Amino acid sequence: MTPLALTLLAPLLAALLIFASRRMPEALALVGVALGLIGAVGQLIGVAGGGASSVILTFLPDMPIRLIATPLTAILSLVVATVSGFVVLYAVGYMRHDPQKIRFFGTLLLFVTAMQGLVLSGDWITLLGAWELIGFASYLLIGFWHDRAGVAGAATRAFLYTRSADLGLYIGAFVLIGASGTSEISTTLATTGTPALIAGLLLLVAAMGKSAQVPLQDWLQRAMAGPTPVSALLHSATLVAAGAILLIRTAPMLPGGALVAIGIVGGVTAVITGLIALAEKDLKRLLAASTSSQYGLMLVAVGAGAPIAALLHLIAHAAIKSSLFLGAGVFQHDRDGTDLDALSGAGRARPGIFAGFALSALALAGIPPLAGFFSKDAVIAAALASPAAAWLVPLALAATVLTGAYMGRALHVLWAGNNVARPKPVPFMAAGLGVLVVLAAVLALGFGPLEHLLDAELVEAGLLAPALGLTAALSGLALGWLVKPRRLMGPVFGWAQRGFAVFGGMETFVARPALAIATACEHLERWLYDWVLGFGRINLSLGWLARKIDITGIDGFIFGLVRQTINAGSRLRKLQSGFIHREMALAVIGMAVIVAILLAAPLYS
Amino acid sequence: MIVELSVALGIGAGLFGVGLYGALSQTNLVMIIMGVELILAAALVNLVAFWRYLHPDAMSGQMFFLIVMTVMAVEMTVGFGIAIARFRSRGSVEMEEARELKG
Repeated sequence: MTPLALTLLAPLLAALLIFASRRMPEALALVGVALGLIGAVGQLIGVAGGGASSVILTFLPDMPIRLIATPLTAILSLVVATVSGFVVLYAVGYMRHDPQKIRFFGTLLLFVTAMQGLVLSGDWITLLGAWELIGFASYLLIGFWHDRAGVAGAATRAFLYTRSADLGLYIGAFVLIGASGTSEISTTLATTGTPALIAGLLLLVAAMGKSAQVPLQDWLQRAMAGPTPVSALLHSATLVAAGAILLIRTAPMLPGGALVAIGIVGGVTAVITGLIALAEKDLKRLLAASTSSQYGLMLVAVGAGAPIAALLHLIAHAAIKSSLFLGAGVFQHDRDGTDLDALSGAGRARPGIFAGFALSALALAGIPPLAGFFSKDAVIAAALASPAAAWLVPLALAATVLTGAYMGRALHVLWAGNNVARPKPVPFMAAGLGVLVVLAAVLALGFGPLEHLLDAELVEAGLLAPALGLTAALSGLALGWLVKPRRLMGPVFGWAQRGFAVFGGMETFVARPALAIATACEHLERWLYDWVLGFGRINLSLGWLARKIDITGIDGFIFGLVRQTINAGSRLRKLQSGFIHREMALAVIGMAVIVAILLAAPLYS
Repeated sequence: MIVELSVALGIGAGLFGVGLYGALSQTNLVMIIMGVELILAAALVNLVAFWRYLHPDAMSGQMFFLIVMTVMAVEMTVGFGIAIARFRSRGSVEMEEARELKG
């Protein structure tokens, strides 16, 4: 329990401390991820010692929060902790001069926490929560440089793409909870029949969104707008991995129909995004497309019924792709951009970094004895053994050729070109990169014990799969190094460069209808608004009328009365002489008149 | 008896005439007040005469007389008070000069 809590809480507390204290973000972040890494290692040792450990916290009735460390989740957690640790190490150098690094490291650690939560979650509710946190944190990280042109749009796009696919996860999770009556993942995996098929397909939709599979692949390349450490983390072991991890964890439940769908989606993605990567003009976007492609291969493995092969490829890819991104980040710092034309010759200027980058590239292409060779072989072997081999094997091989081709092209561009002055050394970046490259190279040694730990044997590879994989990788590398992609791809080139936008792609199928609905809603709202406004206007004019009547009618009457009284008074005042004899004489005259009237009474009565 | 009443009323009318003349002809405030007193005294003579010769049994006539006489005394007091105040402030009680109450 303690290592489990440490894994999850160390990055979280570090993130909170960074935001609260607002100083020393680098040191706090490094301590946080280091403690998380220690926790993950301790967790794996505990699991290897036997038995799963779990933490259960009271939450909803009958649905407690469960965090579990089974062999699978412990391995994934270790991968996340390792990659995030070295990415943070690298980011210390990369973000040295950024004024916003407090926000950067805080959000990065929050993201790591969310990913650990997703990996370790033992029930669907926790998984959904962690999934949401990942989406939110990735939005913040991709949009980190939000004042630069297009960055906010890229972040919003990434968020909306994954968000709409998340609906699949929600419905799928609730189908499973409804079918099995509990939210515990290990129990729900016993679901069979139609609910399992529906849930499997829905989870596939969610995974397609998060892992950037065709046709939802577009957001990933645009997400390159974020800082390079973020790209490295997003692509290798975290955000994009979430989709594959979801499928790997639920693989025991998936029925044949869902498996075939997963395999086909993965294979098609692997090929299409491979083509996109080959046609790409920007190094980071090339790597991004390659990520989609590699996750497609993992989906192929899941679809072939060998989630272990997918897991191995995920681990190998995590190390490889993070080191590739970190290398790309160093070149980006040198040349102020990631355009392949601008990067021409950047590798020759930094032989050390280039060696690491090349090693990772070869590992990704699948050259023995690097890690990628073994994991890719496992995938191809699984595809050969699967019932849908006729579909999966050609797709997987084509993806392998394309992997070799685009990595060969990238290496060629980085190596060719003019040598320039030696740039300054970058110790932190080099350290983070170096460790990950070494991992990418030697990780294969760990695959044997890993299979033993997971208690799952891979399909016996034989000779066919390595031979096919190696041939494909070598031919791909040779093609990529020697032939320009425009000639290699022929008419497909332009299409691939536009990201295979069929009939406008997602824009037409999703965005336009959504916009139309939004416009209709806007019209409705405008109408309602007008109506309310009209009602308000009527009331206002009634009020205005009442006020007018009050002022001109009632007030006018009262004031008129007052004015007339004052006028009458001032007129009457003129009668006053102030001369006492005159007043008295008037009184006498009045009395005389009265006397006269009285005396005259006999005359008229 | 009617003759005596007529005599009394004649005396009253005479007093009234003297008082009225005094009030209208004099310019001194004190003299005017004295004129007014004479008018009131004439009214009282009439009142007493009517009571004495027409309703000698009704005591209300005497009561009425006493009240009017008291009012006369009070009125005198107020009038002379005003006269003294005016004399103190203006040094004269000539009513030809007192035009401040003109509206």
